[in-house]
Amino acid sequence: MGLLSILRKLKSTPDQEVRILLLGLDNAGKTTLLKQLASEDISHITPTQGFNIKSVQSQGFKLNVWDIGGQRKIRPYWRNYFENTDILIYVIDSADRKRFEETGQELAELLDEEKLSGVPVLIFANKQDLLTAAPASEIAEGLNLHTIRDRVWQIQSCSALSGEGVQDGMNWVCKNVSAKKK
Amino acid sequence: MGLKRLLLRYYPPGIMLEYVQDGEPKTKSIDLLNLRPDTDAIALVEEIQRGEPLITASYKEHVIHLVRRLQEKLGEKEDHMFHLFKILRAHILPLTNVAFNKSGSCFITGSYDRTCKVWDTESGEELRTLEGHRNVVYAIAFNNPYGDKIATGSFDKTCKLWSTETGECYYTFRGHSAEVVCVSFNLQSTLVATGSMDTTAKLWDIEKGEEVVTLSGHSAEIITLSFNTTGDKIITGSFDHTVAVWDVGTGRMLHNLVGHQGEISNAQFNWDCSLIVTGSMDKTCMLWNAMTGTHIATLTGHSEEILDVCFDYAGQRIATCSVDGSARVYDAETQKCIAKLEGHSSEISKICFNPKGNRILTASSDKTARLWDAATGQCLQVLGGHTDEIFSCAFNYSGNIIITGSKDNTCRIWH
Repeated sequence: MGLLSILRKLKSTPDQEVRILLLGLDNAGKTTLLKQLASEDISHITPTQGFNIKSVQSQGFKLNVWDIGGQRKIRPYWRNYFENTDILIYVIDSADRKRFEETGQELAELLDEEKLSGVPVLIFANKQDLLTAAPASEIAEGLNLHTIRDRVWQIQSCSALSGEGVQDGMNWVCKNVSAKKK
Repeated sequence: MGLKRLLLRYYPPGIMLEYVQDGEPKTKSIDLLNLRPDTDAIALVEEIQRGEPLITASYKEHVIHLVRRLQEKLGEKEDHMFHLFKILRAHILPLTNVAFNKSGSCFITGSYDRTCKVWDTESGEELRTLEGHRNVVYAIAFNNPYGDKIATGSFDKTCKLWSTETGECYYTFRGHSAEVVCVSFNLQSTLVATGSMDTTAKLWDIEKGEEVVTLSGHSAEIITLSFNTTGDKIITGSFDHTVAVWDVGTGRMLHNLVGHQGEISNAQFNWDCSLIVTGSMDKTCMLWNAMTGTHIATLTGHSEEILDVCFDYAGQRIATCSVDGSARVYDAETQKCIAKLEGHSSEISKICFNPKGNRILTASSDKTARLWDAATGQCLQVLGGHTDEIFSCAFNYSGNIIITGSKDNTCRIWH
């Protein structure tokens, strides 16, 4: 990748390139999701101390996906990456009910950010492979997603581990990008 | 007009003259860029005397002595092996760039955690944290050779000027409308230049803290800039595929170097300001006449984008590195490729010479840095241990210490 490549990905993207920001609490499964999207090995994933960037081709678009570490102490730095974001993907560990309130708060703060205003948001209710996972409908209700009026949004249940539901979410992303980029 | 003192300059080889003219203390340098251990010192000094009236007959022996000391330095056997000295858990987010001061006594690191830190090279201790930027600190620079000031360029669109000694922020330079991604002091330490994703570069007066001039003309992001050693010209490299040469005094564009078919990755003057080298995503490197702006040669060979290019201190060799995982060394005069550096398992993003010019250091996304023989291209050492890709690397002036900055949030010191 290198610093220069980061600058190239930083500049306002041409028509067929899409900048996607992948956020969520630590252990939500963001990096697993990123690697699943890039069809890479997901057996050895460690907590992200900074960020990972991957580019994937989908439906005629080049998706530049930025996966940002979610540990509490580095969350204040999420703002570093807001510039030129086309789509926000917010990942939730559906089985970690104890942290639903925390993740809801972080999401609410993101939606209040001026630099992300109007940016379509896809919420992945991840880890549906776990028996204890809450269904997407329950999470949507708990997070009051229906009160979001200033942008298009979608919640999609998925398992980054098995890949189930991931493509459905990305289809929504591409649909909403094309609506925005036109 | 009288000569007061003669000083050695090891890299690039030269002799500095301190003299008095009309009551004013002045300095000038005699560059000996072609000096070799076997050069005839007496003949060389006689030649110098013919061109430099300050070197009177009474100084001849002294100058011969100085030249011989430079030759000894150049001829010293180099078999230094580097060992990991310290791992600095430098930042809580990835590092961007690293830089030494002239003496190598301290160095600085920039980071995604919005700070720049000043480190003591000897102990590996953190001396200061420069806090105040509101986004990634991407570009950093010392005002070498003085080293008493630091400039930082940030994604927050500003550049800040700091005191190395106290960490005090003297000025915040505001005016760019996008990320500041390159900063540089002129060698005279009167100006700092900033290049931005907003397609402009600006020159700032570091005494007054004011903008001097905006260099506008590029049609895309500026990602590199470099002053020449005399400080009267500056070049900017852009994603618009061109490099512009500007007059520092007026801010006027003197030449636009057009020829590359891809984004520029780096551009540099050689020491005597006669040549400019440019590297590009078009997989080539080009050499230009710095006075006329005319194209001299295209250096080919890489099979993928060139990510970095540099001259050695004396300006006699050029090194390039590429996404293809290799690096190459070219002779600046003949433009022939003299060595291929092969061994990294993925792209190389940074390359630099040691000040003496006989070693090359490369930083790669394969998580290693490598040390090479600049003449033969032989890999001398693999500096491994980082757990993520290496973004930056540097030699100190003596060439016996290396620092590497990585996406793994650490900085490593190698002795």
